Amino acid sequence: MPENRVLIVDDEAIVRESIRDWLEDAGYPVATAESGEEALDLIGRQDFSVMVLDIRLPGKTGIMVLKEVKSQRPWIKSIIITAYPSEETTMEAKQLGAIDYLIKPIAPDDLEKLIRETLDSLGREPTVTTEAEIGVRPPAVKAVEVRKSLVISKNDLKSMVESLAKEMEVVGVKSRQGKYVYDRISSFSELCLDHDVTIMSPTKYFLPAKETLLKFKVGDESGVKPVTEASGRAIVGMHPYDIKAIELLDEAFITANPDPNYIARRQNTIIIGVDCLNPSPKSFAPSMGTHQAETGFDLLLTDIGADYMVTVGSERGASLLAGHTQAREPSGDEVARQKAVRDRALTMYQISLSVPRERLPKLLEDSYDDPYWETRSATCLSCGSCVMVCPTCFCFDVQDDMALNLKEGERLRRWDGCMLVDFARVATGENFRHDKASRFRHRIYRKGKYVIERYGRVGCVGCGRCATACLAEIASPAEAFNAIAESVGIKEAAARLIREVTPDSELYTPRPAELVQVNQLTQTEKVFEFKLKDGKKLGQRPGQFVEVSIMGVGEAPISICSSPTRNGTFHLAVRRVGDVTAALHNLEQGATIGIRGPFGNGFPLDTLQGKDILFVAGGIGLFPLRSLIQYVLDNRSSFGKVNLLFGARSPAERVFVDELALWNQRPDLEFQETVDRGDETWQGNVGVITTLIPKVDLDPRKTMAVVVGPPIMYRFVIVELKKKELSDENIIMSLERRMKCGVGKCGHCQINGVYVCQEGPVFTLAQLRNLREAI
Amino acid sequence: MKPKVAFFDFTGCEGCQLDALHLDAGEVIDLLNAVDIVNFREVMTERSDDYDIAFIEGSITRESEITRLKKIRDQAKIVVAFGACACIGGVNCLKNHLPMEEALKIVYGEDARYYDTIPARPADAVVKVDYCVRGCPPVTSELLKVIKALLLGKKPDIPNHPVCVECKMAGNVCVFERGMTCLGPVTRAGCDAVCINSGRHCWGCRGLVDDPNVDSEKEVLQKYGLTVEQVVEKFKIFNTYAEVAK
Repeated sequence: MPENRVLIVDDEAIVRESIRDWLEDAGYPVATAESGEEALDLIGRQDFSVMVLDIRLPGKTGIMVLKEVKSQRPWIKSIIITAYPSEETTMEAKQLGAIDYLIKPIAPDDLEKLIRETLDSLGREPTVTTEAEIGVRPPAVKAVEVRKSLVISKNDLKSMVESLAKEMEVVGVKSRQGKYVYDRISSFSELCLDHDVTIMSPTKYFLPAKETLLKFKVGDESGVKPVTEASGRAIVGMHPYDIKAIELLDEAFITANPDPNYIARRQNTIIIGVDCLNPSPKSFAPSMGTHQAETGFDLLLTDIGADYMVTVGSERGASLLAGHTQAREPSGDEVARQKAVRDRALTMYQISLSVPRERLPKLLEDSYDDPYWETRSATCLSCGSCVMVCPTCFCFDVQDDMALNLKEGERLRRWDGCMLVDFARVATGENFRHDKASRFRHRIYRKGKYVIERYGRVGCVGCGRCATACLAEIASPAEAFNAIAESVGIKEAAARLIREVTPDSELYTPRPAELVQVNQLTQTEKVFEFKLKDGKKLGQRPGQFVEVSIMGVGEAPISICSSPTRNGTFHLAVRRVGDVTAALHNLEQGATIGIRGPFGNGFPLDTLQGKDILFVAGGIGLFPLRSLIQYVLDNRSSFGKVNLLFGARSPAERVFVDELALWNQRPDLEFQETVDRGDETWQGNVGVITTLIPKVDLDPRKTMAVVVGPPIMYRFVIVELKKKELSDENIIMSLERRMKCGVGKCGHCQINGVYVCQEGPVFTLAQLRNLREAI
Repeated sequence: MKPKVAFFDFTGCEGCQLDALHLDAGEVIDLLNAVDIVNFREVMTERSDDYDIAFIEGSITRESEITRLKKIRDQAKIVVAFGACACIGGVNCLKNHLPMEEALKIVYGEDARYYDTIPARPADAVVKVDYCVRGCPPVTSELLKVIKALLLGKKPDIPNHPVCVECKMAGNVCVFERGMTCLGPVTRAGCDAVCINSGRHCWGCRGLVDDPNVDSEKEVLQKYGLTVEQVVEKFKIFNTYAEVAK
């Protein structure tokens, strides 16, 4: 390569030509190409030493060009230029051998310097060894370098750790009595980087077992001073699961209410992690997604034999490498070896979850009362070992320690844990988790549910420390998760089995019913009297509904407007509004329709029993309410005072007028009605239904209001009822929704999480307060 | 008015009182500024029957000690059991496994007839005890903690969790993993796992936690190789009186 020829590839002429001019001025022979295709063509015909390559090219992209150059002309040094730097392309370009990255707009000096250094290094090439070739350029420390993977020698690591030890405390993994611990290391040789797991987690370096939060004085010189400790420290040998645990701590101690003591330590701690290639037999990190870490460290080492692959996780890590090592690009073989050792480690884990970890919160949610908690915790020693060794446990206690002179003291934070007997005890003596089972369950719930829901990070990193420490051998969250999964699985299987044994083939099949009688109520409303053709009673409760089928037209939910206390038939009052209702309106006596149901909960007869009842019916809200009114009147002695308010838009829209007249005459029923707009024939009240409520004399403690009407009416009626001091529990409503299937499946009737066809259509106002979509 | 403090020794080795002297000079001065010590046989000859806080050292092993302890209880506003013997009966209770005559004979031989003895018991088996400073020997810092709490009028915070908590905090390799056995999982913490830190195991000198899972601990001990008899012996040493060894 005598000429040190440079190829410039950019689709923008202005960029291409400026670079060409700069480099020619600097004395380099230059060729240009405006597309990847043209560049490859030129490379095929001429020799180049350096290629300056725009990553975003029309047609063949810069990455594609790099790939081809790498396979065909591996000696060409490529410098990437781009206006849109992204970590992915940077990494990819680097892996394809790009030596550096410049971001547009490019300073001529930067580019010229880079090319000169590159060519200089090439110039030395014939006289230096292969080993030196790879160390030609110490990695520049730029933001784009983070996430980069490099290779350092074991000696490099030694000199880096020894340099760190001159500046700060270096903590590392050491062996102790056949186990491993984190402890201060005084020489590099103490460091163990092939450990399985340490007894204690590195959490102790961020949240010490005991620390002073405040110093205070009382008496004449009283005062309080916060105490934060912040000396520099490097931790060497942290496994990825511990790194993930620290990331959870970050979430808990930094994101909301930033904790000054934690942050001071976190900011002053350098984390040099190491891939776990020799996992503990109790670990299940891969199941928790914590066997590898992409973030949360400054440097992460992988032992690939002779050398370490090192991933840069931060600027700080980048400067460490730059300052203390001869970091170099990995060869393809080394990248492959890293993957191989990691893959091999994956095969060494002996424990795994039987369900995906994403399912844990739901599994646990459904298993609160599982007998597992009681039986499995029977041997729990409540010794707290599981929570003490846990990297994701961070609960603490705060206590004052007064000096003997009683003038000054410290407020101390100390580790505490939910497995300890007194953790949830309050001053009055009450202990909210007084038994082993509830503590045991709480810990597992934290690990599998509460923490992930609160902080968005796994609450258990699968390190297996608790399982190792637990003398009763009950602490492993994996075991608990799997047991619960199995228990739920057994229950599900049992449920499936029951369904298989008694399939409800009738679920969607209507029963034939004969139209016994039709009466016109208004211009658009009719009441139909049906009886089931099999001679059975419908068996409804007041407030339930049926699905009415007109085969070929469809099915519609219709509330039943007669009480089961009446004869063997049932009434459906129907406004002509849609296809099915129109078809119903066209039917004549003796016609057959299909009926499914009754469905829904109906009015709470037990609750209403013995109470004063206030019925409020708006328009055709009287239809469903009529079933209950009839029921109450048929069982009149079971209820207290009964008030009935009815409002229609106009006299012509009043429904069940004959019955209204009868109710009006009954001495055991206070009946009032009104119309929004009167006409010449109307002599009664005029005004909306809410105007009737103030006139009602009611005792809020023993009155249940049952309100049915259009949605808009509910809002105003509720306001009036609240003026009467009725509690939310004493206001009952029936909601209208599109109950398509009636069996809690189709989802049409759903209000937030509630299926109206199952849990409704009757709700108390108290229930609806939690359903934001309801009214 | 500084509270008057008195130390009384019953049946024991008096090591607890001796241990109380392991305060550093500054602490002694602070302590003497805070309280008046009116009775302390190990350090002073003066005696007074006017005191507010009585520290009881040793277990109760003779009828005459019962009378004496009751008298102290009547006089003192606060009674603190001091050390394993006073708090839980301690090693003295080992004799309770023998008939009293035999125990006397073993100890005094021919002269046994000059002595009387009853089954050994902790102070709270005789009188109401307000607080305990546990251990054999007790931890000086806990003694100070109790004194400070009394001076501040608050309840001293004595752990009700097992030694394992402090042992883990100390970063020890579990005793069971070192081929020995340990009563740490059921023994009340507060000693900072001092024995395990020194390479030994927990003997249970601070007594058991309030609700120890003794059955589970026994299972663990057997799993790690102890016979049923050895398990019983292990509990007997300090915890005979708690009857868990039965």
